[in-house]
Amino acid sequence: MWASTNRATIWAQKIAKLILSLQSCNFGVLLFTTPQFFFFSADRSILDSSNTLQITQRLDSRSRFTGKSMAATSVHKFAQCISCHAWSPDLSMIAFCPNNSEVHIYKLSEDKWEKVHVLQKHDQIVSGIDWSYRSNKIVTVSHDRNSYVWNQEATGWVPTLVILRLNRAALCVQWSPKENKFAVGSGAKTVCICYYEQENNWWVSKLIRKRHDSSVTSIAWHPNNVLLATTSTDGKCRVFSTFIKGVDAKESATGNSADTKFGEQIVQLDLCFCWAFGVRWSPSGNTLAYVGHNSMIYFVDEVGPSAAAQSVAIRDLPLRDVLFLSERMVVGVGFDCNPMVFVADESGLWSFLRFLEERKSASSSAKYGSQFSEAFGKFYGQSKFSASNNVEQSRGAHDNCINCILPLAKQRKSSVTRFTTSGLDGKIVTWDLQKQEDLLDYL
Amino acid sequence: MAEIVEADNYEGIITRIEHKSRKIESLLKQYKPVEALKTALEGSPPKTKDERCKSANWIVVHRAIMAIKDVDSLFSALDPEYYDILMKYLYRGLSTGDRPTCDQCLRIHEKLTEKAGLGCILRCLADTVNTV
Repeated sequence: MWASTNRATIWAQKIAKLILSLQSCNFGVLLFTTPQFFFFSADRSILDSSNTLQITQRLDSRSRFTGKSMAATSVHKFAQCISCHAWSPDLSMIAFCPNNSEVHIYKLSEDKWEKVHVLQKHDQIVSGIDWSYRSNKIVTVSHDRNSYVWNQEATGWVPTLVILRLNRAALCVQWSPKENKFAVGSGAKTVCICYYEQENNWWVSKLIRKRHDSSVTSIAWHPNNVLLATTSTDGKCRVFSTFIKGVDAKESATGNSADTKFGEQIVQLDLCFCWAFGVRWSPSGNTLAYVGHNSMIYFVDEVGPSAAAQSVAIRDLPLRDVLFLSERMVVGVGFDCNPMVFVADESGLWSFLRFLEERKSASSSAKYGSQFSEAFGKFYGQSKFSASNNVEQSRGAHDNCINCILPLAKQRKSSVTRFTTSGLDGKIVTWDLQKQEDLLDYL
Repeated sequence: MAEIVEADNYEGIITRIEHKSRKIESLLKQYKPVEALKTALEGSPPKTKDERCKSANWIVVHRAIMAIKDVDSLFSALDPEYYDILMKYLYRGLSTGDRPTCDQCLRIHEKLTEKAGLGCILRCLADTVNTV
């Protein structure tokens, strides 16, 4: 009897750990829609602004990476916590937010990361960064409800304010494939589509209102530059047309002229009965994938009136973000701190293949024990506990929730083998699948 | 549309649960506790908002859960499709605070988590719409 109660305590610990990692993540605050509470939370969640750069050469010192096929090729700890990151078009620089109001840009020179710029304009946590491939512009959004488009000029990065007209935090941002628009998801239950007006020299924000019942957690552009997919904490995934007269040419639209009105909802997917996060289109735009906080991942083919959806239940903790590596392979990242690979077979049936990082799993009882002390480690600070036991040995490249995954490619391609992840542990990890022979078939 | 009609048809659901209850009693008499649990979990009314239906089904499931003696053999016979719904009922059992029920639910919970992973618990906790 005592044994079973003790197990229950361990599960309570495990769940407490999850809730804890949720709270330490900025997105936790978006659920509260009362303004007072919101602003309080947003201020409180600034963790550490005086971050020091620690480059950890973990690859040499850790024996677990000496196996023949390691997927993580580099691990760098840039800050205490990273809310989001983005790569420059030539992949020589990285921009990230160290969980405060700044955006830091680092450049790789002679195998060392050097801080080259700090973009300071926002008042609160920067929740989204995107660096455009072709025009070399950075767009940032923040909990302070504003957005800036940064242009590189001789004097450095020059910001242009984009008034989003929001009354809640902006949560995510993405350039459209043609880079003439960008979309912002927000806690105000709206999506802003922003475009540049030449005559006024001004970025204009057009809102998709009254479509979402809760915060918009993630957005994804279809390759056709018109369709936009969103996920929301109301549990739904929606697809909208963002056709803007004078910005989009008629032929670039979906073909069906009835669907091209701005803000028109193409489809609403009501598969997940809890928070939905992380949505992406496949490179061709034929498949849509998004994740739910109920440890499920959803794949949708033929987005439209006759959409065919598949849901795959995950054995482990939920995901936060996804990335299509090809039409048939998806990587999901999240609370398990270890990327998961999902693949589609010839008939288009999706399933979980494996974790990207193979971690040594101890015997069942020892595993419970280590999870227990791991949870304690979270409460009392990592270092104190990791010194006294061997939990550290079984850890992988990330040791906290991963909330951002990006392809590492110089342009949009139909398949990528390299990508980077960042998370609440402040690390940015580069992954390469070249040596993962079992996965190359799916590229 | 058919689903909504069915969900609102409380009397129909209650009748079905009564029928299920009789079937479970006869299965238990034949020493088939796993079959009884499967029958109890099948056609659970998570979609309906009516608490009476949910309680009625819980009584039936509770009867079947308490009849399980050998948890290991339960999981060798129970198909994965029942895991999520069983987990929901285990948490309902734990919420009663009744000592023998909690003991039994914890015993099954331990094995079920080993089998189905943490994702199963998450699906149970995160789903606030389809409750049991």
